[in-house]
Amino acid sequence: MSPGDWRLELEGIGWFRAFGGRQLSWERWDDSVSDRDLRTFLVTSGLAALVIQRGGLVLHGTTVVREGHAVLLLGSPASGKSTLAWCLLQKGWQLLSSELTVVDAHGLVAPGIQQLKLWHDSTVALDVDWQKLPPVRRGLKRCALGSSELPVAVDPTPLALIYDLGRRKPTNLKSEKENLKDDSNANQEEESSSSEQQLFRAWSRKSERGALLTLRNQAYQPRFYRAMEQEASLFMQASYLLKRVPVHSLNAPDGITTMRNALEGVDLFNPESLFRQEEHLAAVEIES
Amino acid sequence: MSAIDTEYWYLASYPKSGNTWCRVFISELQRLAAKSEPQELNLNRDIETGAIASSRHWLDDQLGVNSCDLSFAELDPLRGRAGESAWLFAEGERFHKVHDAFKSPDSHGRPVVSTAGCRGVVYILRHPEDVVVSLSHFFSWPLERCVDYLLDPTAALMPGERHGGHQVRQHMGRWDQHVRSWADQPELPLLVLRYEDMLAKGPETFMTLVQFLDLPTEPVLVEQALANTSFEKLKKLEEQVGGFAEKPEGCERFFRSGRTGEGAEQLSIEQRMRLAKGLGEIMERFDYEGVELG
Repeated sequence: MSPGDWRLELEGIGWFRAFGGRQLSWERWDDSVSDRDLRTFLVTSGLAALVIQRGGLVLHGTTVVREGHAVLLLGSPASGKSTLAWCLLQKGWQLLSSELTVVDAHGLVAPGIQQLKLWHDSTVALDVDWQKLPPVRRGLKRCALGSSELPVAVDPTPLALIYDLGRRKPTNLKSEKENLKDDSNANQEEESSSSEQQLFRAWSRKSERGALLTLRNQAYQPRFYRAMEQEASLFMQASYLLKRVPVHSLNAPDGITTMRNALEGVDLFNPESLFRQEEHLAAVEIES
Repeated sequence: MSAIDTEYWYLASYPKSGNTWCRVFISELQRLAAKSEPQELNLNRDIETGAIASSRHWLDDQLGVNSCDLSFAELDPLRGRAGESAWLFAEGERFHKVHDAFKSPDSHGRPVVSTAGCRGVVYILRHPEDVVVSLSHFFSWPLERCVDYLLDPTAALMPGERHGGHQVRQHMGRWDQHVRSWADQPELPLLVLRYEDMLAKGPETFMTLVQFLDLPTEPVLVEQALANTSFEKLKKLEEQVGGFAEKPEGCERFFRSGRTGEGAEQLSIEQRMRLAKGLGEIMERFDYEGVELG
């Protein structure tokens, strides 16, 4: 793979190539591979590679819009970005770009792929009729909700805020016990009993370096940037973006229904309202 | 980047067989050898030996796709190729925990972990009767269910396909299949450690480990690291941090007993016979006594 020639081989699915920031090509592995299979990877990894070749900033996150302002939800896989976005769309927000978000030098987010992918268990917990929805790909227990089912925004929108999403129980604390949940009991969510655990909590990034690393780590994908020798450009663009847009961490309650209920009264445009008391005081001190 | 920066090893085991103890020991030995940190080991801060090989975040980064868009059957053949690029495990973390069997029924006969550039694997095993008891506390499952689990050829961690997770499915199979998959694989240099030897013959067993892993071998350091990570010490350290981060909800403590022989005490004769019947060949190969089958 050379900087201007990104290639991806997915055994059993196909070969993908992004070339010179202009051309995206593919070849299917065999006739059993559907257009939907190919599209799934073309509009994620393929598009991201193309944007990076063009020198753009592409982040791993979903952007939602309200009253002309965009909020970007960053997060590692399975951190709940799509579930939270779906919940927000039920409360008057619109989807601007899902899974990956392209931000320009002026902090404008371009409309992107507008499709939410929800795991089967999320659809059950959220009362979404999964039987009426197509799977993301044949055989997967994930449903695709497209722009015909979702409220979407169509214009480039200025980014007001970035949240780095995590769940109440941080990633590395997920236990093997949790992993052992099988299909028979996966629906039985363990809702946490402590009231603190049922709230959204935000906190500010303590240092510019921390915020910068958050953006760098949530690029789509850091390895693409490295392979295409665009890492310096990634840092520069991320750094420039940080001068305009604040980054906060957002901890969502564990459990889908708990998360949905906790959204009541939450103002994402006002992260300070989600700070713990001590964090709030610290922020005031810094400001003063 | 020098070759040494990209060298890595696997610490492979069936769950609850001493993998964490091994990782804690390695971290502590490195901490002592670096002589830079005077404080005591912090279980939730200092155990940074490397990503688990089943980490979804890591796999996504390595494979260049969102692995949630792949079925487990599609993912397993790809997993062994994760890390073919020059940046494999290059973040200073060199000892990677693995609970998968070396190959899965879906992996097309290929390993589910990358073998390119791997220096070797330490396979840790423990008496299956004791694994049953330890699993039972860890998962809050009855003993019978854990016996079934060790005998289940389809046993896996994260087997559900209806929800996402931070780790991908890890096929383990029956306990004896798991052991054989690693102990008999010809692709990676191998060191097999028995948990019982780590406990009963600590200095000797851990010296073999550090030699295999190219870690500092000064006896005084190894013995100090061993003393600092004794089971009683780890229990105390777990109390200090208010619960080890890898402890599941509902499990009272991660470092619970660590003893050997609990299986023989707590399992019924029928349960022990089932294990002996199903796993006898490998138990015998690694000197594990079970009940006599009539």
